[in-house]
Amino acid sequence: MMDDLAILGFGPDGWAPLLLKGCLLTLAVSAASMAIGTVLGILLAWARLKGPRWLRRAALVYGVILRGVPELLVILLLYFGLPSLILSLSETFGWEAPGLPPPFLIGSVSVGLVSAAYQAEIFRGGVGAIPRGQFEAARAMGFSDLMCFHRIVLPQVARVVLPALGNVWQFNLKDSALIAVTGLSELMRTSLVAAGSTRHPFLFFGVAMALYLVLTTLSSTAFHYGGRYSNRWDRG
Amino acid sequence: MGEHLTFIGSVTAQLVRAVPVTLLILAVSGVCATVLATGLTAMSVARSPLPRLVQRTWTFLFRGTPLILQIFMIYYGFAMVPWIRHGILWAAFRDPVFCTCLAMTCCCSAYIAEIFRGALAAVPRGEIEAGRACGMTGFMLLRRVIAPSLIRIALPSYSNEIIMMTKSTSLASTITVLDITGVAQQVIAHSYRTLEVFCAAAALYLLINATLSTLLTALERRLDVDRAPTPLAPIPPTLEPLS
Amino acid sequence: MTVPPPVLTATNIRKSFGDREVLAGVSLEAREGEVISILGGSGSGKSTFLRCLNLLEVPDEGQIAIGDVQAPLARNRHGRLEVSDSRAAARLRTQTAMVFQGFNLWPHLTVLQNVMEAPLRVHRRDREEVLATARSLLERVGMAGFHAAYPKRLSGGQQQRVAIARALATNPKLVLFDEPTSALDPERVREVLALMRSLADEGRTMIVVTHEMAFARDVSSRVVHLMNGRVESSGPPAHMFGADASPAFRAFLSPAAL
Repeated sequence: MMDDLAILGFGPDGWAPLLLKGCLLTLAVSAASMAIGTVLGILLAWARLKGPRWLRRAALVYGVILRGVPELLVILLLYFGLPSLILSLSETFGWEAPGLPPPFLIGSVSVGLVSAAYQAEIFRGGVGAIPRGQFEAARAMGFSDLMCFHRIVLPQVARVVLPALGNVWQFNLKDSALIAVTGLSELMRTSLVAAGSTRHPFLFFGVAMALYLVLTTLSSTAFHYGGRYSNRWDRG
Repeated sequence: MGEHLTFIGSVTAQLVRAVPVTLLILAVSGVCATVLATGLTAMSVARSPLPRLVQRTWTFLFRGTPLILQIFMIYYGFAMVPWIRHGILWAAFRDPVFCTCLAMTCCCSAYIAEIFRGALAAVPRGEIEAGRACGMTGFMLLRRVIAPSLIRIALPSYSNEIIMMTKSTSLASTITVLDITGVAQQVIAHSYRTLEVFCAAAALYLLINATLSTLLTALERRLDVDRAPTPLAPIPPTLEPLS
Repeated sequence: MTVPPPVLTATNIRKSFGDREVLAGVSLEAREGEVISILGGSGSGKSTFLRCLNLLEVPDEGQIAIGDVQAPLARNRHGRLEVSDSRAAARLRTQTAMVFQGFNLWPHLTVLQNVMEAPLRVHRRDREEVLATARSLLERVGMAGFHAAYPKRLSGGQQQRVAIARALATNPKLVLFDEPTSALDPERVREVLALMRSLADEGRTMIVVTHEMAFARDVSSRVVHLMNGRVESSGPPAHMFGADASPAFRAFLSPAAL
């Protein structure tokens, strides 16, 4: 029992610092993929709502593929595929071959690409949920499109979208565990290494589960209050 | 170019042979998770606080942690627990397919139970009161009034969850199961032709998901009383012509 | 007596939705201080006409000018009329304001913010000045005590009165009312109509699409009857509601048609 405490502690044999670092890396990579997903998701939603026909099609196909293929497969594709793609590109164009892309980049981009497909649906639904009269009232007052988006659409979309984005964030957080296969030492990977080298898998996976629970609970609380704030005008 | 096509052809053939493994995991854990979720839903509306607490804890635990971690916990973690290692259950726990199914059953039952719970809350109170008003109670009320409404409300989200489960089966490959993803990784390790192999694997998953969602949408249509053509008596042929 | 200058000139407005011709050439001129009521059965095109005036609908044919500013309408390469300059369209709209049937208050802004939004953001007026105007307007429409309330908390009549304050906040040359009382309970209709009447007495130029015959008869300076996308008859209310009214308008007024 004392052994357990020692390998979990901050001492020389303790894994606590690495596990906490893993937590931070998990948060960082999830946040990066969420941000990539939001930017790309807004673009995709815009493409599906307002784009020319070919772009609408393309955005639709993107969504079908990225929501229908396992996340693990996407991560593995980028992990194995990206280096050879970069290599062949640099050969074709005669560039100096850059180093291998870091696992953090591969991980956040691949989870971000999947996240974007889900977020696009959310944003599309959010804009669709705003009554037409809201745009008309703004246009009748001489608002430009950009101002209408900023002052009228965005605050109302935020209310509809925030709870759903909270869900996507939870999925991002959990999908980030899959990035362990690329060797990025986030929480999952760290617990795996610790389990292997100490031969205490039950203990370390248990600790990792507890840490994930902390992360998901804290962030869902944050989204709850964010949602309450963005919803303050809707409580009759 | 011809060599290219031959390669994709042979890869696809190899991957197709792994489809039954993926489908087996999906079917077993899908059925078990649904049954378990039904139980959890019943617990969530129980009068005494203990079952409700169990359901809440279950949901909290399995929705709050990554499935891959749960799989590792069951496959690697439980192997170190003496009474499992030396007990009668060891035959099961040493099998990665069993461990994947077990983890997915636990995890997905938590998600499905939340779907059922939401649907149960969305069943219009009036329908239940109408059932009560004509003397229905207990099981009859559940079977004749609540369940039909609940299934109709839950089905779209349930279909989504099944699609998510199909995708999750790929995690089995991380504990040596040779499902579609597992075989794909194996082929890549031999051939180094990443893109072709992954595209073929992705196509297979898309095919499975498309088939499943077509079936479930068809079921949704069938159950949708609002849209289905009303089975009225056939229209008499001698109606006055519309002006 | 000098004739006041026209605030609005709409010439030969045509509009079809698919095969259905909703406006078959409607012209209207509104002079300063005029209150014009547009009446007509459902499907007569009255709302569409009103929405063409501030380009919420783009007419298929015709010209619109607010004051001496022409609406920026031009033919595209398919020969269809479209808004050629969205900035100019926005500028044109800043000269007008609209009150909607469904209020369309912005739910995420308070009553005061709703009224201040356009003068502050679109007209970029001085904040203190806008605040003072908004306060006095809310006082004017009887909503002085509700500055911090969100629209969802208000009754329909209250929301519509705020919407009217919002419309007046930019001091528009012309206020368009699109069936402002149709979504209200009967007892709320009266408070909104009373407010509109007092605006008319103040000399505001208003174009009102309405079903309120009493309002059209007692308040407006001119009544226009639309039928099948055309002006069937028009004139001062004394004439329109008098013995010389056109048979079609009289049929429209008769209870059997309602």
